[in-house]
Amino acid sequence: MKINVSKYTTVGLVALLSLIIFVIPYSASLEYSLRGKFGKGHDFTNYLWIFHQDGFLSHLSLSLELGLLAGLLNLVLMVPTATFLHLSLQRYKPVVDFICILPLMIPVVSLAVGAEYSMPGFLQNSQFELVFFFVILALPFTFRVLDSSLSSIPLKTLVEASRSLGASWPATIVRVIVPAASGGISSAFFLSFALGIGEYTITSLLHWDTFTTWTVDVSQQNVLGSIALSTFSFLFAVILLIVIALVSSNRKKKQKELEEQS
Amino acid sequence: MSKRGSTGSELVISGISRAFGPVKALDQFSLKIAPGELVCLLGPSGCGKTTALRIVAGLEKADAGSVMIDGEDLLAKEANQRDIGMVFQSYSLFPNMTVAENIAYGLRVRKKSKEQINKRVSDMLELVSLQSKINNFPHQLSGGQQQRVALARALAIEPRVLLLDEPLSALDAQVRTQIRDEIRRIQIESGTTTLFVTHDQEEAMAISDRVGVMQHGRLEQIDSPNNLYNKPETPFVAGFVGITNYIPSVVDSKNEVQVLGQVLEISEHSSPVKKGEEVRALVRPESIHIEKASQGAKIITKSFLGPMTRVGVDAGLADLIYAEMSSKEAKKFDAGDFVKISISSEMVMVESV
Repeated sequence: MKINVSKYTTVGLVALLSLIIFVIPYSASLEYSLRGKFGKGHDFTNYLWIFHQDGFLSHLSLSLELGLLAGLLNLVLMVPTATFLHLSLQRYKPVVDFICILPLMIPVVSLAVGAEYSMPGFLQNSQFELVFFFVILALPFTFRVLDSSLSSIPLKTLVEASRSLGASWPATIVRVIVPAASGGISSAFFLSFALGIGEYTITSLLHWDTFTTWTVDVSQQNVLGSIALSTFSFLFAVILLIVIALVSSNRKKKQKELEEQS
Repeated sequence: MSKRGSTGSELVISGISRAFGPVKALDQFSLKIAPGELVCLLGPSGCGKTTALRIVAGLEKADAGSVMIDGEDLLAKEANQRDIGMVFQSYSLFPNMTVAENIAYGLRVRKKSKEQINKRVSDMLELVSLQSKINNFPHQLSGGQQQRVALARALAIEPRVLLLDEPLSALDAQVRTQIRDEIRRIQIESGTTTLFVTHDQEEAMAISDRVGVMQHGRLEQIDSPNNLYNKPETPFVAGFVGITNYIPSVVDSKNEVQVLGQVLEISEHSSPVKKGEEVRALVRPESIHIEKASQGAKIITKSFLGPMTRVGVDAGLADLIYAEMSSKEAKKFDAGDFVKISISSEMVMVESV
């Protein structure tokens, strides 16, 4: 009983601390961003100002597109890689692990310049080169998430069962591994996606314009508007995560319903 | 040639070798299984039986040799192109799929029509008596039920050969016997040529047409369960299959050995021995006969095994000598009784010490 009380106290303290750290600054930002002209009253003037800025929708959709592509490319590269590392190439796991940590060790400037020059010309001239940078930056996180997710399922037997039933490798990955490790795979996707839509340094260094660089540029024109913009970005991310969580829980609910019916 | 899917295919494994570094898992392993036959590979851990099975399934590469089904060489084919069904020790059902979806998986991969899939799933569920579990997920089933679904899934694709890799070892004793008998019934009904791997000799003897005993990557003997038990061809088989007393003895002549004071003929499958050599005679407990005496060997243990009872006798040797008799006959004896031991068989297998 004593242990339970102590556990609940700790959890309560952590929750309170998190609440203070998150709620106070964001409440203050929200209040500040809602102030009217010359700081009088509260209205949505600053938020309406954001939507009237040139390039708002185009930059937002570009960032979403790049984030989405980064998430997908990450999965296309890393799910088979992590799968084969678990199945038959375990001796190479430390090597891949080291390679995946490199983006955290190499200074961003060196990474940006080095990778830029190693890319083919047609990519260097396209904003879609950013997708590859986002994938590289997300590697330290996505590899670990996928690695632990695949460790938690009987991967080898599932793959062997699928193969012996006549499934090709791509079919095995799509029909068996992805659903069995869906938690880790969706986490890996959203990590890359979130990193993609929020990345600033490399985008700025390579002189591309995405929603983050646009945000910085626009923020310099209007102080209250810049706060509204950062609050909007935060709320947008929160809403996006809630939608994803709802979709995911809806899927689980449907599965549970099917189980209950049976 | 047998009709595929009805009476099974012929499986011929010739000279398969496989080494993992310095360890030879399989050494020139050969085996021929007739259509519709169920053969068990039995042996201690590390003898190569699972490696052999995995090579047939295409889940492991062979260094040399060939695997043929109905005359077609399989080694060049990937695992998914071999038309072989496999049941694993750890059930291996797809956790995100229902029972029906699991059984239908191999058929979906083969792009069968919806009607064909539904019909086959229904037939398979009937075969394993799990119609009521059609929409259950694997985690809602017991171990035995999961293994029956795995069997139905493997058979749904009408495999040319069915491979079973210790499918009963994760189950408890009672369920194991039930599923074992069910596997045999289903195998006979479907007529599928089956290779079954186990380290449980009782399981192997109960289910198989023939049992192959393996040691060090080689097949020591392959024979009917009855012959394997009663006519073992090597000391290893005699020791591995069933319970055997190893009784220190002395070779009397080229063909005879003195065991517990009795002169017996040496079996032709024994190790080569010479006169006067100290050997071990391999004697089955049911060949040991005991009768009450006023002195001599003493009964130490008495184990009731249902219809049979096993009695452990101290005859002054390093190990107890075990005798098996009907439980009715064993009522005459109690622990502490003195007995006289004799051997009822006329021939014994011997091995050098």
